[in-house]
Amino acid sequence: MVQPAVELNDVSKTYRTGSIEVPALRGVSLRIVPGEFVATAGPSGSGKTTLLNIIGGLDRADAGEVWVAGQNLQLLSSGELARVRLQRIGFVFQTYNLLPVLTALENTEFTLLLQGVAKHTRRERVQKLFSEIGLAGLENRRPAELSGGQQQRVAVARAMVTEPALILADEPTANLDSATALALLEVMERLNRATGTTFIFSTHDPQVMERAHRLIRLRDGQIASDEARDRQAPVAAAKGGAA
Amino acid sequence: MTSVLLLVKVSWRNVWRNPRGTLLTALALGLGLALLLISLGLLDGGHEQTIASAVRFGPGDVVIQAKGFQDSGSQELLLAARVVSRVDAFLQTAPMKRVLLGVSPRLLATGLLSSAANSAGVTLVGVIPREERAVSLIPQRMVEGTYLSDDNPSGIVIGAAVADKLEVKVGSKVVLMTQAVRQPGAKVKGVTGGEMQSTLLRVNGIFRTGIQAMDANVIHLPLPVAQTLLGVPDNQVTQVALLLRREGDSLMVAQGLRQQLAGAPVEVLTWRESMPMLAQILGLDHAFNYVMNGVVLAMVGLGILNTILMRVLERRYEFGVCKALGLRPVQLALMIIGESLALTAISLAFGLALGLSVEHYFATAGLNLRLLFRTGLPPALVVDPMLYSRLSLERIVSSVSIVFIVATVISFYPALKAARTELPDALKVL
Repeated sequence: MVQPAVELNDVSKTYRTGSIEVPALRGVSLRIVPGEFVATAGPSGSGKTTLLNIIGGLDRADAGEVWVAGQNLQLLSSGELARVRLQRIGFVFQTYNLLPVLTALENTEFTLLLQGVAKHTRRERVQKLFSEIGLAGLENRRPAELSGGQQQRVAVARAMVTEPALILADEPTANLDSATALALLEVMERLNRATGTTFIFSTHDPQVMERAHRLIRLRDGQIASDEARDRQAPVAAAKGGAA
Repeated sequence: MTSVLLLVKVSWRNVWRNPRGTLLTALALGLGLALLLISLGLLDGGHEQTIASAVRFGPGDVVIQAKGFQDSGSQELLLAARVVSRVDAFLQTAPMKRVLLGVSPRLLATGLLSSAANSAGVTLVGVIPREERAVSLIPQRMVEGTYLSDDNPSGIVIGAAVADKLEVKVGSKVVLMTQAVRQPGAKVKGVTGGEMQSTLLRVNGIFRTGIQAMDANVIHLPLPVAQTLLGVPDNQVTQVALLLRREGDSLMVAQGLRQQLAGAPVEVLTWRESMPMLAQILGLDHAFNYVMNGVVLAMVGLGILNTILMRVLERRYEFGVCKALGLRPVQLALMIIGESLALTAISLAFGLALGLSVEHYFATAGLNLRLLFRTGLPPALVVDPMLYSRLSLERIVSSVSIVFIVATVISFYPALKAARTELPDALKVL
């Protein structure tokens, strides 16, 4: 049996503001196998962001188990969580969030530098990715000199360059026009197919939902529906097992 | 190592993210350092000039006198002849010759100087003109006539204020009256101790030092004349004043003399001991300056804190992203400290360039204090109206180090704040 890329067992999370308690997740259990291209959708406050935060090790669940790439995140220290994020998870944020003082190339190799990867390998990986996702020639531009779509592609490249088991993308197309959003989705889908990297999105965008292989709908902190779409099934050679 | 280089690169570029803010902060910090250097240069220069003038108008860098003279000022207290001989012998040794600029034996007493018009109480100083020229500044401050010479045994030089009071000028006759020193035993030079003595002298020159207490009180006359008038043997004086090449050698010379004269009824004093008031004033001046510099540093430090803190607060989201990507808290803190160090380095370069340029100007052209004190110079501290800055390498290094340390320590707080960026709160989404 394939080890899941992500497995949540009865995960709950409640936020407290003074005496007010807001349940964000209520007993969520799910299993995502390596190579899946999953979208989570739902209205505001349904728990999409909390779910991704907990899967990404940015936040901790109050109860339940969170397994990512074979590790129970609930048992890890904050330093160990940082290492898991650096080595195993890639993030794509809604507002691109590139470091403004670094060029596209430097932003992309940022996490590789933190991992201590040699310069030759770094450049090779970045150039390959840039060619694949249409960023060739833009290496030395800073974020302010790139369009929104280009910036988000750089963010995707930054997330992909460490060859992580899992990429979490929070509303990656929210700030893009539909044509650019579609192009970005195609890039991510292509990378998913080519590398077997697991993608999990949170989204309001029907285009993203349409292209997802699996759509998980959340409502009031619980999974309302979990449906496989009429898309390509997870690739056989997918990554995401235990490191 | 690679990640350190990355952090250095990010820090340096972050410094220039807001060039105007960076330049304004560098300007503020640089001005702080420049002010520090300039004020220290003028302070040290002023103190050095004050000390140099004070010792040359007063008792020298080191003075040897009879025990108790410092407290009582009694003219009865004289150095014994054998003590003077031992001092002479010690000062002739090679190590002493290397540090000595001049040696002047002096006989001090009080007296009444009278002219046809008026009288004035004076401190008479019997000197050997050739020796006194090597030690005292008075021979260089003659405004009328000339200083004493060995071939004019009845000459006298007086302060300008004494001359004004007595209404005398060069060539005028004056009468000096004093009480003979009480010596144990018989008469000396036919003078009985305690008797009033007087002698007729001719004004050889008039000096003006700018120090009211000297111009209105001091007169110089040849040592033999003073000894005869006071009934003091030829080989006895009140004190021997030493002028050194370097003021810093005072303590060493004084300690050597104390060892040499151990057991003799003498006191060997450095200028700090013979002019304690001056030493205290200079010490107070230093302390006040340190307080002022502390205030400047605090203002500069708060400026840096404000700048870095604002930058950190503005970039909370960015730090959240960095942390999400796997940057550890210590790396975030190092990035902020790196930014602060880069900003400090730019500021120090600017401050050093400005501070040393202005200091160099004041060291060569000087600062004319008359321009600052239109109503008259304060007489106690600075004698020369041209104040020349003097800044040692040690001062420069310590000033730069202090500013650097202050800026670095202050950057710890924003660095800590950045390191404590909480996930996922710092991220608005995800």
